[in-house]
Amino acid sequence: MTRIVLIVVGVALLGGLFAFGLLRGEPNRDIPSAIVGKQAPNFVLPLYERFHPDFGESLELAAQVGRPMVVNFWASWCAPCYEEAPVLQSYWERFQDTDVLFVGIQTQDRQQYDAGRAFMDQFGLSFPNGMDDASAVSVEWGLFGVPETYFINRDGTVEYRLVGPVTAAVLDEQLAAILR
Amino acid sequence: MTGTCAQRRGGTRLPAPVDARRPLPTLILRLLVTSIAVLAGLAAAQEVELESRVFEIARQLRCPVCVSESVADSSAQLAQQMRELIQQQLEEGRSEAQIFSYFTNRYGDWIMLEPPRRGIHLVVWLLPVVAALLGVGVVTVLVRRWLASAREHIEVDQADLDRVRADLESGAS
Amino acid sequence: MIDLQLGVLGTAAVYLALALAAYGAIAGLVGARSRDARLLTSARLSAVAGFVVATVAVIVMQTALLTDDFSVAYVAQHSRIASPTWVKIVTMWAALEGSILLWAWLLTGYTALLALVAPLSQLRPYALAVMQLVRVFFFLVVSVLANPFEVLPNPPLDGPGPNELLQNHWMMAVHPVLMYLGFVGLTVPFAYAIAALITRRPGSEWMAQTRRWTLTGWGFLSAAIIAGGWWSYEVLGWGGYWAWDPVENVSLMPWLTATAFIHSVQVQERRRMLKPWNALLIIITFSLSILGTFLTRSGVVSSVHAFGSGPVGPAFLAFFLIVALGSFTLLAVRWDDVRDRSELDSVVSREGAFLGVNILFLALAFAVLLGTLFPLIVEALSGDRVTVGGPFFDQVTLPLWLLVLLLMGIGPLLPWRKADTQSLRRNLAWLLGGLAVGTVVAFALGVRKIYPALTVGLAVYNVVSLGLLLSGALVPRMRLANRPAVAVLRSYAFENRRRVGSMIVHFGVVVIAVGVAFSSGYRVDEQIRLDFGASAPFEEYTLTAVDRFMERTPGRISAGAVVEVTKDGRLIATLRPRLNVFGEGRPVPTPAVVYTPWHDVYLNLNSTVGSTTTFVVLRAVKSPLVTWIWVGGFIVVVGTAFSLGSNSRRLATVTQASEATGKAVRA
Repeated sequence: MTRIVLIVVGVALLGGLFAFGLLRGEPNRDIPSAIVGKQAPNFVLPLYERFHPDFGESLELAAQVGRPMVVNFWASWCAPCYEEAPVLQSYWERFQDTDVLFVGIQTQDRQQYDAGRAFMDQFGLSFPNGMDDASAVSVEWGLFGVPETYFINRDGTVEYRLVGPVTAAVLDEQLAAILR
Repeated sequence: MTGTCAQRRGGTRLPAPVDARRPLPTLILRLLVTSIAVLAGLAAAQEVELESRVFEIARQLRCPVCVSESVADSSAQLAQQMRELIQQQLEEGRSEAQIFSYFTNRYGDWIMLEPPRRGIHLVVWLLPVVAALLGVGVVTVLVRRWLASAREHIEVDQADLDRVRADLESGAS
Repeated sequence: MIDLQLGVLGTAAVYLALALAAYGAIAGLVGARSRDARLLTSARLSAVAGFVVATVAVIVMQTALLTDDFSVAYVAQHSRIASPTWVKIVTMWAALEGSILLWAWLLTGYTALLALVAPLSQLRPYALAVMQLVRVFFFLVVSVLANPFEVLPNPPLDGPGPNELLQNHWMMAVHPVLMYLGFVGLTVPFAYAIAALITRRPGSEWMAQTRRWTLTGWGFLSAAIIAGGWWSYEVLGWGGYWAWDPVENVSLMPWLTATAFIHSVQVQERRRMLKPWNALLIIITFSLSILGTFLTRSGVVSSVHAFGSGPVGPAFLAFFLIVALGSFTLLAVRWDDVRDRSELDSVVSREGAFLGVNILFLALAFAVLLGTLFPLIVEALSGDRVTVGGPFFDQVTLPLWLLVLLLMGIGPLLPWRKADTQSLRRNLAWLLGGLAVGTVVAFALGVRKIYPALTVGLAVYNVVSLGLLLSGALVPRMRLANRPAVAVLRSYAFENRRRVGSMIVHFGVVVIAVGVAFSSGYRVDEQIRLDFGASAPFEEYTLTAVDRFMERTPGRISAGAVVEVTKDGRLIATLRPRLNVFGEGRPVPTPAVVYTPWHDVYLNLNSTVGSTTTFVVLRAVKSPLVTWIWVGGFIVVVGTAFSLGSNSRRLATVTQASEATGKAVRA
């Protein structure tokens, strides 16, 4: 009798484990970021020429501390990036009267500046964008796919990291959080 | 075969099973097994060594943008750039441990291809050993029981044995 | 015929196959209980009919694929007009629904064969019923949950084609079929074990009847795993063949427990021991194969190979739980019938060796299972993410593999019941001598790493063991028969297929072990950037990137580099590592390899090659003795096939006499 009980318990445990596995969705998403809550790693991002007049030749993160920031990593071959780009642009325009800064970092794109320009043209992106040439920034921020979006507080700490295309709902919630 | 039972010490019992009487081969076998296991442990620790230290380190890191490939094996751009990063850090004189903690500080423990040896993760390192030892333990118990039952079985024939000996001694042809 | 939509025909076929399977199961069970011969015969016939119907379904699918009939959903989702014919054929199992259809068809084939050739016994009806029940599940999935024959009202003009990685190499035609043949083959001993438990006849008869089925299934599974490794090597571009990827692990685990099983049943045959153990082993093996199917098709573990998630996942989980719960409970309930009064005369005996085999392979299977599931367990318990990858499995399983090699050498030399001192001491002396000599020679020749040196030592140890086995068997025969050695060997081999077959298989394993040890221990990886026209050294070779090239074949565009591999000025090979693009898919880097007996030179592209590129970044890998892994795998398959044949009985009487004399000589 005890044997049967043990068997049932064992099988139930396995079943529970696998049910959990089925329910929780894709295993590679939602990996907790190691830098949330810590100071965002600094970077000096060389910007595309079109942003030089307004934002300078390069953008240093540390110089922007004091402003809340939305840092978005994208690539020209990444399909969900095409979904989120118009959303980001519209929010950038809407929040122009606040001091939040949107920064786009093109990464994992094999130095394809032309493809980057085409991407920015397609969505009329007017927030500063630059190429992360050696993926140094990506590694510093613990990037494991595109698109990813990080929300930075005024004090420079990372508030939240989103994996996947950013949506209006997330932007509403997180912008409220970092603008405080 | 062996001589008649009457001549053995202890009376009419048939010869005891192999183990008790010939410890040497078993001992050799046991020594051999243990030394192989120990050597293998050493070998495993050494196995990760490769010609190129960059690939050696990269082999233990998980490529973040791939589906279960190591940074050494992947041809993704990020993986190549991570290898360059590792090379830079090695040239700067950083140690392997420092390079690993550089990556785990940014990606979490997930970036290492083997689980850390602390906390709950000790389970996965130790449980196979525990299970193997348990297996050996269970088998030892069973084997003892089976050895005993074999011996028992032999001794049960005691009565028949007496009868046979009696027949022999009485000169039956 | 042309008016009848293929999708409708196919759907009808799978539903009919489902119905036949259900009927076969019910009729078989009822007929067995009531001993109704007619019901039983109809159950057997339904198995054969089921195979015919399933074959119709497969033919329909292939017709749809080959005629580009995009009204069939599966074809629309996975096939492409421009693909070459062989790609269209293998597209049938390139994706989820089709692969289940393939599995179901092969299972039906085995069931029909079993129905036709299995000897009449108490067990047969129950065994067939179990197989029919498994068929019911698979056809349920294929008809209701994931019907590839769904008819699309608005068929598209063309499809995307199968996954790029799957049309890159001809092995795609071979590996999955071998794998499924392996899993399905192992269903037969499982079915017989369940039948034996149900009918309370857990004796040896079920193993004797299934020996060939088990060995065939095991053989196919072994071939599939080796083929998979070779395919990875030739296709994936990282120069390796085994990544401890969850899907790979999932095919390895049933193989490990099946190996323990095929050894352990010999103890049951000879000594009537370990009956509960064997029943447990085959139940575990089958459960693991179903678990494997679940893990691959549910998206629960991330893997390069995974078929992706879908509605099929929960179905396979439910089936796995039913199988596990049902069979283990049955075993527990019938435990007292199964357990035997075992006796062991000595641990140092063949029985003891087989016990060791059981422990080692079960420990291996447990380690692999734990490692594969651990990330899921940790995430369930604490939400943390952790990776359990190659380095973990290598470290944990390495000692066990070496112990397996050790046991493999001494085991066949140990006699049943108990080893007698003299011969044991002599054998051990030879074996340990071989081990020491092998290791020292390897060391002397420059092999300084422990694992490869030890593997060479164990290889010599095993070869010595095989030599002792053969000489022990052949020498007395030669004395008696007075014939040349080759003839004696030949007749011995054909009269003792199992023994000699297992010797061949063990030898194959040794070859594989040496190949694995050296290719992982002495592998050299480098990343080399070459301008076209320039050269760079790589180990003892010189690589020269000559030019770009581009090729266009139906369904595929390749762009790559022509690289000359020279050594001391002599051209060894001209390699063309490339990027393949199939239709609209992403480019797949495809490596190029020079195979030599000593080592492989392996080149893969790590940069894109366009019409204006002036340089190429290559990943160069040199792996020693890799080819021997594939050769060893082939030897294993040959050995398995050899041991499946029947012994020739021509010199039976002479053999018996020489066996007796042989024993006296040895003692």
